[in-house]
This record gives sequence, structure tokens and C-alpha cells, in this order.
Amino acid sequence: MKAALSPENYVPAAILLFLMVLPHLLPNPFYIHILVMMAIFVVLGQAWNLIGGYGGQLSLGHAAFFGTGAYVSTLLVNWYGLSPWITLWLGGLCALLLSWPIGIICFRLQGPYFAIATIGLAETLRLLVLHFREITNGAQGLTVPFKGNAPWLLQFESKFPYYYIALLLAVASVLVTRRMEQARLGHYLVAIGQNQDAAEALGINSSRAKARALALSAFITGVAGVFYAQYTYVIHPDSVFGLGLSVQIALVAIVGGVGTILGPAIGAVIMESFIQSTQVVFAGQYPGLELMVYGGLLVAVILWRPRGVFPWVARLYGWVLSRLPALGAATP
Amino acid sequence: MSHAPLLEVENLGKRFGGVQAVLGLSFSVRPGEILGVIGPNGSGKTTTFNLITGFYRPDHGRVRFAGEDITGQKPHEICARGICRTFQIAKPFRDLTVFRNVLMGALLRHPNPTAAAVRVEELLRLVGLEGRAHTEAGSLTTIDQRRLEVARALGTEPRLLLLDETMAGLTPTEMGEAIRLIGRLRDRGLTVVVVEHVMRAVMSLSDRIIVLDQGTKIAEGQPKEISSDPRVIQAYLGAEYRHA
Amino acid sequence: MDFTTFLQGLLTGLLMSGIYALVAIGLTLIFGVVRIVNFAQGEFVMLGMYATYWLWKLWGIDPYLSLLITMPLLFLFGVLVQHFLFRPILQAPDLAQIFMTVGLSVVLMNAALFFFTADFRSVKTVYSEWTLRVGGITLPVPRLFAFAGALLLAGLLALFLLRTDVGKALRAVAQDREVSMLLGINPDRMYLLAVGLGAALSGAAGGLIVPFFYVFPTVGVIFVLIAFVVVILGTLGSIEGALLASLIVGVAESLGILFAGADLGLVVVFAILVATLVFKPSGLRGQA
Repeated sequence: MKAALSPENYVPAAILLFLMVLPHLLPNPFYIHILVMMAIFVVLGQAWNLIGGYGGQLSLGHAAFFGTGAYVSTLLVNWYGLSPWITLWLGGLCALLLSWPIGIICFRLQGPYFAIATIGLAETLRLLVLHFREITNGAQGLTVPFKGNAPWLLQFESKFPYYYIALLLAVASVLVTRRMEQARLGHYLVAIGQNQDAAEALGINSSRAKARALALSAFITGVAGVFYAQYTYVIHPDSVFGLGLSVQIALVAIVGGVGTILGPAIGAVIMESFIQSTQVVFAGQYPGLELMVYGGLLVAVILWRPRGVFPWVARLYGWVLSRLPALGAATP
Repeated sequence: MSHAPLLEVENLGKRFGGVQAVLGLSFSVRPGEILGVIGPNGSGKTTTFNLITGFYRPDHGRVRFAGEDITGQKPHEICARGICRTFQIAKPFRDLTVFRNVLMGALLRHPNPTAAAVRVEELLRLVGLEGRAHTEAGSLTTIDQRRLEVARALGTEPRLLLLDETMAGLTPTEMGEAIRLIGRLRDRGLTVVVVEHVMRAVMSLSDRIIVLDQGTKIAEGQPKEISSDPRVIQAYLGAEYRHA
Repeated sequence: MDFTTFLQGLLTGLLMSGIYALVAIGLTLIFGVVRIVNFAQGEFVMLGMYATYWLWKLWGIDPYLSLLITMPLLFLFGVLVQHFLFRPILQAPDLAQIFMTVGLSVVLMNAALFFFTADFRSVKTVYSEWTLRVGGITLPVPRLFAFAGALLLAGLLALFLLRTDVGKALRAVAQDREVSMLLGINPDRMYLLAVGLGAALSGAAGGLIVPFFYVFPTVGVIFVLIAFVVVILGTLGSIEGALLASLIVGVAESLGILFAGADLGLVVVFAILVATLVFKPSGLRGQA
């Protein structure tokens, strides 16, 4: 007699299985590319959400951590021939180290300081990378020399391996969010978001809690930056440190639903589908039109759906679960 | 009474712009006692609490807790040392359930949420909120919000509990319950300082009372001595008792 | 580096600081009254620049003269922004407020890109190349005009705030919303006025620099970033503070360009931001 398999268990498993076979069902690699970008934004949105959603601290400069990961890794790979499997961690670590002083300085203060300081950080890094051409190759950016199929160098001729690594990162980012939400840090961040004075009175070190959430967020963002550099082979200061990227990261989380476990992931899927389809339709003929639409979308979400689409999706999911039978039920 | 004092406040002072809120205030709290702090509105009671618990930084003076200087430390550090306070205007985490509110306090000494949850059950029973565990804190009645604040504060396992006007706005029956609750806390070995505007409550509750007026201490003693002290009557009691 | 070059850098920064002050005053006015941190402030500058450019390009209107048209236009635009975009989120959490203004900024910037292309445009006037030479120092006349114009507008704003009833009402709302309502002031109208004025001043800053500054869709980003540093250094909500801080920031940027390199001016400005946040987060005019 086997125990019944409830929909709560088998539906997520089925979704995961579907995501595993999905690339094989697609007609050409371009669609896999879209999926990889989607997964990267799932990671970025989830990471942003740790500090922006749970921590309630609005970062408009997450590109700083992303670009740090991308540049640190690419330089280490090019100079010392380090394996990207190692620089993946080092890039994340550098992003974390960069985030720590920002957290210490800004989280003592209440107000818009953190949002402004993070923009300043990303812009400063972008300008410095542009300035120190001898090291960073300036505006031309850096390239990862392609060595063909070299798994140890995180290089593949096919897009499938990238997809599975990206999927792994995306799932991991969701699991990290869940882990944090259930741990003391997650509870503390929620308490601080509700009433910081009351939280402090209960012994909660609010600036340390926020700094920890930021560090975790920066680490994950840095890792995503390393993966992105390895995946695209080429990085530019404007693409990895740009304000546009920072806004897009935050947008993904806001559209999906801040402070929820899966909101940013859903937001990433929606936004990336949207971005890629507009790119196909407009084919870059109308510069500015896409971003104009995203900006408009952001304004519309704030005005009419401030909690994002997650509540809808959660309700729909609950409804689907309630309609599905338990499998292998031990009926007499 | 040979115990060393648990809390010593020495020559405390705080000024806001042109207003001297507290000036040259000194008193001490002995372990295991209930100290009442009374005084007319604006006499500096709540400011004193904010100075002790680190929400304000004193202009001068010292605060010592269990022999150690805690002046100028941050609220969360002071709480971690064992002083916890409630707020005059209750500050529940409004969108969270009663259970989760109290959990936030219990997590300080029990970092594992599962272990902390066991403590929460006990605390809710102690203050009589066990039936409300899954209610949103924002929808509680005034007295239940006060109970919640006390339970949350107790979750941090303080040695000294500072209660800021816990009785304000309660009906006489509710006030009786609150007084019994504070008595139970003292029986569990807790030292309590209550700031109150409601005279009757303080008189029946406190072992000792200090009276503040315009930021300074004008009297100190047993409840009986205080109620017959002419300075106190002049500053404060006169008006209230005539109406009573 | 000789002394003349240093002095040249100092004066260039000083002249630019007037423009920064005007943008920062707009920002701090909106923050002080409406309590919204407006990340779209730089786009108000950008709109002022494009309006001035097109008035010159299409009808040959002199950039300084077109202030009379662009300022009312930007005022109206600010009023519409306040009414339709800011008013609904006045009670919303900071996160929503900031994102509203960021969204607005993204829309305006890319609308400019869409309609006007990414081309760098410039206005040529008879006085564009005029310079004033004092000793070894060369001062471009358009920059002198911009500085004088900025000071004049800042002075007019000060007079308005200090001497008129409406200006006093505006300050009352900035000081205390509830009390001002008891005094019979309608805060909603003051919010419209504040955002309108904030937009008009930033638009004027844009118009004043058109004779010597390229017009392009993302130009506003530079100004909003500098304005943020200025208002934090000068204490959020304080207009006198913004004036003083813009002087410091303008000169520091200019000297940064001189000593560290043309592309590092903003890095110096951000260094000031970090120093402020570390040593005196409440700003020059803040207490304690």
C-alpha cells in the first residue's frame, strides 16, 4: 500500500519535469536562449526581492553587483585561466564584499538614501570601468575566448547545458528565498518592515538584518553576473553596470510581487516573454519604444496592481490544486 | 533590602529644542520590585523610558543596568541585555497574526523558529490571548493589543520590564485583569517599572513610587507616603482626587 | 598644474553650480512639500532642453526668450504629473512612490529617444562662442548667462516663498501638513503648485544650458544624480542647503575633471555623497 500522492506534491514535480524537457520541445536554439535569459532574470528578481521585497530597501543599483560578478570573473578567467566554476563563487563573493559597506552606511538611516546610494555605486563602477581602459578594455568591453566544448571552462557549443545550469540557479534562488523566509532573518525583516521601532525594542538589530539580506542578495546577483558573462562571452560596462539593467531587475520583482517567494520568478517569465516578443515584432526599428512600454507598465502596476500579479497566480494555482485528485490513493 | 540595584539612573538630562524634558533625574530599581513612575502629562515619564531603552540619547547622565553602563547603546542592544519595554501607543506588527507578533520577541533567545514557537504558546496562555493566536494584530481591541505587547516583550526574556501606560483607556474590569497580570509577572521573578497616569492602578500595584514633575523627581516612597505627600498633591494628585 | 588652470576649473565649477542649484531646488521643493523623492526630476530638465531646442529650430526663438514659454509648459506638465501620477500614491509605501517616479523617468527618457532619436543636438546662437577673458582665464559668456539666470530664478523663488501669501502657505504645508490644514490651507493645491514649480525650475535649468550643452534623450540622468547628491548634502527639503551644497558639488566636480580626468567628474560627486552619508547624513543644514 503506497501513501497517496497529493496534488501539492506532484504538481510542482510535474512543473519541474516540464521545465526539464521544455528545451527539447522547442523548434530552434533562439527559444532556448530566451529561456536562459528568463532564468537569469528569475535569479536576479529573486535576489533583488530578498532586500527590496523582504528587506523593504529599494535598490536601484543591483547592476553594480551583477557587473562586479561579470567583470571579476572574466578578468580572472582571462588572466589566470581560472575555471568559471571557481570564479562563479569568487564573483559572488566580491559582490557581497562590495555590498557590505553600502549596507552599513545606509541602513543606519531611514529615507531614500539607500536607493540613491545604490544608483551612485553602479554609476561609479561603470565610470571607473570605462576610465581604467588598460585593465578593463573600456567601452569595448571584455570577451571570454571561446574554446569550443569545454565543460571545465563552462563553455558549450550547444545551448542545452547552459539552460540546465540556468534552471538550476533559478530553482536554487527560489529555494534560498524560501529558506530565508522561514529562518529568523526572514521573520526579522518582516517585523522591521511592519514597524522598525517595535522591532528594535524586541532586540532586533534592524541594520544588521538588512545588511545580511543585502549581502545574500548581492552574492546571488554576482553569481548571476558570472554566469551571464560565460553565457554571452562578451560584457560591456553599459550593459552590465547600466541603470537600465538595475531598473529591469527591480521591475521583474515588482511586476511579479515583492516580498513573496515566487513573485519575482513569475515576473521574470512575464517580463522576458514580453521583452523578447516586442523585440521580434519591432526588430529594433523603434529605439525607445520597448523601454517606454516597460516604464508605462511599471507606472500602471504601481497605480493599479501594487502587489503584483503573484496573488492572482497563487489563487489560480490553488484552484488548480483543488481540482486535481490525489494519485495512487490507498482506496480499499 | 540588601540587594544591589538592578537599574540605576543617575543625573539624566534631555532637552528638545527649547523644552527641558528631563533634568537631573536619578533613581534606582531594586531586583524583584514593582516601581511606579507617576506624574502629570509632560512630566517626562515617557522620555525617561526612551532614554533608558536607547530610543533617545541623553544629553548628560548615566544609565547602569546590572552594574554595567548602558548609556547611549542602541535599543536592540539594550533589549538583548535584558531590558524590554512596551509603548504608550501600542505598536503591534499590524498585518501579522498575534502568534507571529509574539514569535518576533521569542526569536531573540531561541533563534530556531520551531523552538521559539513553543515559547509563544506559553506566553499567549500567560497573557490570555491563546484564543486569538491567528487573529491579525491590527484588528485586536485596545486591551488585547496591550496584552500582545506584554507577551511580545516577555518573549525576549527580560530581567526588567518597562510598561508605558499599559492601563490607559481600559475599563475598570480590564484594569483589574491587567493588575493581576503584572502581579503574576512579579511572582515569576521579573522586575517591573510601570509608568502610569491612572493613579488607582499604580497605588495598588507598586511597591514603591517615584513622582516626576517637569522632568525632575519631586517625591519617592511607599504608595501610602506618596498619597499623603503635600508636594505630590499640589503637583498632581489634587486635581485628580477632587474629581474622584 | 599652474594656478590659472586651477582657477579656471574653480570658476567653471562655480558657474555650473547655479544650474545644479536650480535642479536641486526643484527636487527638494517637491520632496519638502509633497514628500516624494522624484527620480524623474532629470527628465524635467531634459524636457526643458528639448522644448527650447525645438522652439529655436522650428521658429528661431532665442533660448533665453523661450523660457517664457517653456516654464509655463513645464509647470503645467508638473501639475498633470502630480494630479494623475503622484496624488494616487501619496499614502503608499516609499517603494511604490520611488518606483512611480522611476517609471515616469523611464517613459519620458525613452519617449524622447523614440520621437527625437538618440542624436546629440545643439543650438547655435550669435553668442554661443562669445568668451570673456580675464587674466589667463576664459569664461564662456553663455555659461555666465546661465549662472546669472539661475541665480535670478532662485532669487525670485525665494521672494515668492518669503513674501507672498501663497508662498507662505506652501512653506506651511512643507512644515506641517496637519497644522496647515487647520489654518485653512488646501494641501492638494499646494502639492500641485510645488510639483509645477519644481518642474518649471528644472525645465528652466534645461533651457538655460541649451546654448552650451548637448541635448540628448538621457541627458537628465546626469542632472538628477548630481541633484540628489546636492539635496542630501544640503539636507533633504532645505532650499538654502541646496544652494550651498550645489556650490560645493559644482566646484568639486569641476576640480575632479581637472585632476582625475574628464570622465571621473561624477565619481568625485559620488565620493561626496558617501562622505556625507558616513559623516553627516542629515546634511549641512541638519541637526546633530
